[in-house]
Amino acid sequence: MTAGSWTVRTRNRIARIVPPGQWLPDRQPAYVSSWIYVFGVLTLAALFVVIASGIILTLGGVTWWHVSALGHFVNSLHLWSVELFFAFMVIHLWGKFFMAAWRGKRALTWITGVLAFAGSIGTAFTGYLSQTNFDSQWIGTQAKDGLNSVGIGSFFNVLNPGQMLLWHVALLPFVIGLLTVAHVILVRRHGVVPPIDAQPPDEPTPAPTPESPADLTARR
Amino acid sequence: MSGTYLHWGIIQISLTNALVIVIMLVVFALAILVPFNKSHDRGDRS
Repeated sequence: MTAGSWTVRTRNRIARIVPPGQWLPDRQPAYVSSWIYVFGVLTLAALFVVIASGIILTLGGVTWWHVSALGHFVNSLHLWSVELFFAFMVIHLWGKFFMAAWRGKRALTWITGVLAFAGSIGTAFTGYLSQTNFDSQWIGTQAKDGLNSVGIGSFFNVLNPGQMLLWHVALLPFVIGLLTVAHVILVRRHGVVPPIDAQPPDEPTPAPTPESPADLTARR
Repeated sequence: MSGTYLHWGIIQISLTNALVIVIMLVVFALAILVPFNKSHDRGDRS
């Protein structure tokens, strides 16, 4: 084994993605002791239940919940974990928006979160199209007109239940999974964003900025 | 099954969805205002 082998390079690269000890930290700055900082991990926990219940649903298929009490139960688990997932994610979004969470080189963290949110809406929509009932038919026909009117209806067909089901159970969860992993890695890399008036423990206190001539002029 | 809908100008929303939004706003406010359980805070955080 040489120091220049690809395994060593990969290992070193992985180790450099986040600072040492930050992959699974056991200490956080004091300002993290707030319930608003809990909603990110609540969203992750709900996503875990969404994926687990979705995997179980694949055993019985999309019509399972119509004919089986167990299928109906698992389908309800899937639905209500999605409801919680979105509620937690939106509250997480509100908290981070009012914290201006893109500060401190965290723009990519913010962007991956926005993309994951938008992708989750699409994934939920394809789920509504996979209910195999009149509701899914109505939603599909209404959405078809809306999507065609904005010119993106030629790329996919919401009236094609096979295509929408594959998007729902394979393509979109894969994209959401990648975005979520990237989002969490970026949070670990840059740390959770501090409140606007808080001083992060690893950053020096900024020097006071000199008053600008405009300020002095306005004061006179 | 028809639900109860709220109408406000061009805005139309079901009472259920409006309640969900209100509950989320309440949870958001509580998350900011309610102190975090101090037993979770080991007090040695830097």
